[in-house]
Amino acid sequence: MPDLSLATLDPMALTGANVLLWSVLTIGSYAIAKQIYRRWTHWWLMPLAVAPVLVAAAVLALHVSYRDYMRWTHWLVLLLGPATVAFAVPIYEQRVLIRRHWPVLLVGMIAGSLTAIVTSWGLASLLGLDEALRLSLVPRSISTPFAMEVSGDIGGVPDLTAVFVVITGITGAALGDMILARLPFASALARGALFGMGAHGAGTARAHQIGSAEGAIAGLVMVLVGILNVLMAPVVAMILA
Amino acid sequence: MSTHYAVSKRLHRSTALQIGAVLVFWGLGTALAVASGVPLPGGILGLALLLALLLSRRLSALSLRRGTSWFLAEMLLFFVPAVLAVLGHREFFGLIGLKILAVILVSTISVMVSTALAVEGCSRWMSRHA
Repeated sequence: MPDLSLATLDPMALTGANVLLWSVLTIGSYAIAKQIYRRWTHWWLMPLAVAPVLVAAAVLALHVSYRDYMRWTHWLVLLLGPATVAFAVPIYEQRVLIRRHWPVLLVGMIAGSLTAIVTSWGLASLLGLDEALRLSLVPRSISTPFAMEVSGDIGGVPDLTAVFVVITGITGAALGDMILARLPFASALARGALFGMGAHGAGTARAHQIGSAEGAIAGLVMVLVGILNVLMAPVVAMILA
Repeated sequence: MSTHYAVSKRLHRSTALQIGAVLVFWGLGTALAVASGVPLPGGILGLALLLALLLSRRLSALSLRRGTSWFLAEMLLFFVPAVLAVLGHREFFGLIGLKILAVILVSTISVMVSTALAVEGCSRWMSRHA
């Protein structure tokens, strides 16, 4: 009778099985999280928050090391590369908006990026957080593929930045509403830029609910500021070093 | 010409083929980054390449719209594994976690207010000097 216990299995085959199992589990958790949000639309039930919690529950329940889990599902994270490429189409489709408003939006993106760098770095230093944390907090306002890239470039930890990007997204939409209730900005341009610059995809989704102009501007600012930050990263790294 | 038409018609309809095409652009961008030694990620170069083809009308946005929308809509899935890194930082579930949260909240509010003020101020200045 052949021995079928896991211990005698070829390690390569075992890795293959784990890649399959945990990839399916991750995609499944994501699908469930989306369904939950479709049914109950509370900000704290955003798939952004629920999907990682479901996967973390599975990892903890099955006593798997999170490092192994991250290794087995790393191919999913690699897909953030082609996701960057995909931003070309919305940029192309918004070319009229870009041609008309680029100086104003550029000023807004520079102001927002500088504020993000100075306040993240300054507050984190003030509270005594270590350097890896400070650097990982800097790119948290921009969209994930760009944020993780910038984080690596300036000496942060890309995985930690992914966590901070998620927290920014979950809280950003509510913070934006709070600000607009106290400082009612007159132009759709300012309202859209506020959400796209401050809270990437989650902010853009909220801006779309406020108005189509706000949504288009937010989406555009989110994409352009990501690219701007990747291009600026070497300079920022030199200044912060 | 007729084969070209048939290929582009199939590409217009199939989300899977379009996803494949996006992957090809990413591969090209990555190869270009390695070959040229430009210190930019392959994704950004792939984006520039695709945007250049769209702007020069060598490629219609329709032929990739479904594929690119799929990537943008499901982007959240791609960083779920990275977020699990938080399990390696038990210290986040304490005082350090609260400090991080404070930095994120205060910094996000500052970023939002400064961006909106800059945009509003700049567009007012431009309409006055137009």
